[in-house]
Amino acid sequence: MPRVASGSGGGGASDSITGALVPFLPDSQDAVVYPLGHGLKPPISRVSISWARGNTLRVSVFRSSPAESDSDEDVGGKVMEVRPGGNVDGQLSDAQWRRIAYGSVSPFALLQSRRNSALSVSKMGLSPSPYHLEWWEYVSEYSKDVSSLLGNPKSSAGPVIEDPKEVLKKVEEPTCLKAAWDLMEMFYADKLSQAWLPERLVDWLADYDSLLSDTQATVYLKLMEFQGLLVTLLVIEDDSRYWEVISSALAVGWLEIAVKMLRLHGSYQLDQLGSRETENGLVEAVAVLISKMPRLRPELGAGKLGECFKTKPDFMKAWERWRAQVTKLESSAFWLQCDHLQTREGLKNMLQIMLGNASILSTATCNWMELYISHILYIRPFTVGLESMYSLAQKCIQLKPMTIPHKLMRLIVGILGENTEVILAECSRDFGTWMAAHAIEFLTAGSDQAEVLLHEERDNLGGINIEELHRLIYAQVLSSHILTWQIAPIYLMSCMKQGMGLLEILLYRQPVQHNQLLVKNLEICRLYELDSVSSNIMKIAGVYHWKHGRKGYGVFWLQQARDEVCLNRIAQQLFNSVGKSISDESFKQWEGLIELLGSESKPSGGLEFLHKYRDFKRSLKQVNDGKITDATQQAVESLMSLMKNTSTPQRFWLPILYDSLKLLNWQERPLLNVSQTNLLLNKLQELSMARLHPDFIEADLPPQALSSVRLALATNLGRAILEES
Amino acid sequence: MAITGLPQPPQIHRVPQFRYVDSIRWLPSISPFQKYLTVAFFDTDSGTPSLEIHSLSSSKTLSLLSSWNPPSRISSLKCTPSLIAASTFSGSLHCFSTAGKSLESVFAEPQISVVGRDFHVGPIGGVDLMEGGSDCVSVGEDGRVNLVKIGVEGYHGKGNCRRVFDGNGLVSYTAVRWASPTEFVTGGCGFGLQWWDLRRPGSAVAQFKDNWDQGTTSGIIHSIDIHPSRKHTCLAGGSAGTVFAWDLRWQQEPIILSGVGTNDAKTHSLSESDVWEVHYDCYMKSASSNTSSSRILPAMICSEDGILAVIEQGEEPLELLAEPCAINSFDINCQNPSDVICSLEWESIAILSRP
Repeated sequence: MPRVASGSGGGGASDSITGALVPFLPDSQDAVVYPLGHGLKPPISRVSISWARGNTLRVSVFRSSPAESDSDEDVGGKVMEVRPGGNVDGQLSDAQWRRIAYGSVSPFALLQSRRNSALSVSKMGLSPSPYHLEWWEYVSEYSKDVSSLLGNPKSSAGPVIEDPKEVLKKVEEPTCLKAAWDLMEMFYADKLSQAWLPERLVDWLADYDSLLSDTQATVYLKLMEFQGLLVTLLVIEDDSRYWEVISSALAVGWLEIAVKMLRLHGSYQLDQLGSRETENGLVEAVAVLISKMPRLRPELGAGKLGECFKTKPDFMKAWERWRAQVTKLESSAFWLQCDHLQTREGLKNMLQIMLGNASILSTATCNWMELYISHILYIRPFTVGLESMYSLAQKCIQLKPMTIPHKLMRLIVGILGENTEVILAECSRDFGTWMAAHAIEFLTAGSDQAEVLLHEERDNLGGINIEELHRLIYAQVLSSHILTWQIAPIYLMSCMKQGMGLLEILLYRQPVQHNQLLVKNLEICRLYELDSVSSNIMKIAGVYHWKHGRKGYGVFWLQQARDEVCLNRIAQQLFNSVGKSISDESFKQWEGLIELLGSESKPSGGLEFLHKYRDFKRSLKQVNDGKITDATQQAVESLMSLMKNTSTPQRFWLPILYDSLKLLNWQERPLLNVSQTNLLLNKLQELSMARLHPDFIEADLPPQALSSVRLALATNLGRAILEES
Repeated sequence: MAITGLPQPPQIHRVPQFRYVDSIRWLPSISPFQKYLTVAFFDTDSGTPSLEIHSLSSSKTLSLLSSWNPPSRISSLKCTPSLIAASTFSGSLHCFSTAGKSLESVFAEPQISVVGRDFHVGPIGGVDLMEGGSDCVSVGEDGRVNLVKIGVEGYHGKGNCRRVFDGNGLVSYTAVRWASPTEFVTGGCGFGLQWWDLRRPGSAVAQFKDNWDQGTTSGIIHSIDIHPSRKHTCLAGGSAGTVFAWDLRWQQEPIILSGVGTNDAKTHSLSESDVWEVHYDCYMKSASSNTSSSRILPAMICSEDGILAVIEQGEEPLELLAEPCAINSFDINCQNPSDVICSLEWESIAILSRP
């Protein structure tokens, strides 16, 4: 690998690479090897590397001397595209990203068309606001459609007979993208559950705590670790880790896990039940209290513990009652009779968690997010409103500062802080362009303030707004892949200012080699009524095919594009090869092309001459010496119409006349009358003048051709005059 | 009681593939309970094309049986009970025998591979295998029409390949279909169709060129089908939603089944974008009692704007599938015509079971 020359040896690593365009740290990264299968036979003489589309590199490999190889299979070189590096979210492969991209097209397009119709309704003055009251319902529908694409972590069904020692269920690994989308949906799209937002956050953490383990210590990791130990521990309650883990699970509100683990307590075993009756009673009392915990939410999922209360007054009453029960148990006399130290301490610790002891909550949780959830659950269960939620989060961050903040945590801070710019920046940096382009719908629907911010035209962005900017960026990413470029127009069309211009560039940039791809490209032009773009693409395709020897295809596309200029030019080239290669017999090959040129209504740049020329040659072939037949008459007519027609190229005049010598020298009687012969003589005269011109192209005929034609015409004229007189 | 008259919608399963599906065909199987598919994939991440045989379970999951890597992407794919023929964009043709082999070993090695400048230069537009025979005809953008004999055991190489016609690029062909053991039809630009007879070599014996549109738009034929019971009629589909039938007995009067290039009010225009494939649909019973040989049998089409439908002369078209993306190819299971499979632009396969 190339090493950047360093200026001075002193200072840190960052100092030593001054002058480099891109900081290159030879020790920090291992060289990455991309194997390229070029399949060429050595020796390779030259390799060239340049940027290709998107983030790919184009590598061209050339063999030294392709000329000496005669075999068909040998090629002189090969061009390949290499994609260095990975993608934004390491959890998703390129193919999975594409699947998300495909799937989100329909929800996005539906939402845009609804917005457009809402806007047009408001313009007509029928509704005071562009987004009428139900707008968030549309956003919610959009959000659910998109969310279903991102995977469903809760879908996996558990085993029928549960393993008593399996504390954490194995589920499909959730993705950060899904976690982030759920978070946005929770705060912006789901207006119905705004009242129990804190509880939804609890659920969210339960689903995605495993993701935070990438950079943070988490309760999930603790549990996973302990689960591994579970089979080896004989007396589980003697182990301090057992109590630690239960407290942690309880602190973050994973009640069913806490209860399930409590029931693993040794005192439940039949042989010990007699001797540890009081102890077992206390364990069970705590377990029952946990499972009776009041929750401010409409419902709980299957297997989840707690008691639901939909309204705040009911919840408050229940909460007070429950707290009183906890306090009562805490001050019970039975604790003195419990002689198992760890159990007594552990259970008392759990009661303190339920009573909201801040310092114990802090030790039971591993990061600020978990601490935050535990505060929501046990210290401030009546928290409402983003403002108070944000201040609570700030407090928790101070208590448990992040060493390496996880991207999901940064997003939560942005959302709670109601900072639209931060949210968008986090979306785009950590979750990719797809997220930024699609999540913006949440933000614009979220508040008027955010909508103004995102729709405000900015001079520093060239007059476009932030929403358009992110759509353009996403469209650019889509455009850079051969399979996704077709969906980029959907996003470009939703960009008012720059969209159309970029769409035209995108369409022009597509390769025209493959027929199918070309047709798909033209179809997009048709959908967006870009007739001029479409005709330009057809011209490009026409010239491409023409240059690659597919003359029929070339003519076809140029005809479709109605490009008279190009057709004229290639007509001249085509006539060259007609003059040389077309003998009387080889017209069969030209048949297809001539059929294509067929009807005169289509522009063909003088190529319709070929059609007439073919008819002339065909009738001439049928002419038999001696007898006058229909074919003879037809041949004369074809000759005259060819010579009269202005589109017949001058260079064909002499060959046509030379071909018709047998008509001119007809034995029986002159076939051409005086005026016809005069016309031909005039043409011959014109031709003689033209021959003096330096650009004149001499026909490939015997040297005496001109004189023999002249003689034949003169003879014919004489005979015709005699006959007519 | 079932409501008669209204056809029940088919059951649809979409199976994401994470690869581009270039072409898809049913593979005729010996057992009626087993369904097999042959699929031409293109993996854009690694840039490798592949030709694969999959078995389709009753729960609509695919499992790979055999796979082979062609030198470039597959442009056309055909299957008969004993042969699979695949042509590529680089101009090569590869044939595999399925007779007397386990499907796992079909793609171990091509029975015949024809490559080189003497064969085709540039993309092969279409191939077709003779039903019950062993001749494969291929046509290309270079204007060549080639015939490859496959049946000869142990006979590899170019010797069994014969040039029928060389258009020298003056004309390009995009589709081909056998009509009889000695006749076939090719299609190309300008809605042109050519009828060839091997007994009369040198040039096409009949030519058709669109004459219904006096305007300036024309199109390309993408697909041709010929019904075994009506060998004089050729069904063609192409640009601008055009589907028409060309009867050799009335060569100047094509029967337009769908398309925008016509002012005929009786013709239903199903789609305005390209029709990628047409097949006669033997599952649909003709709605009309008129069974004269000049009547066109029901046919299925798929289009760039994502429509899979059955069309019939003078009848309202029946839409089976409307996708947000293009349907690039489809195939009707000839052993069980209620099953249809199609390849979607967005890297997936749709499996339809008609009631």
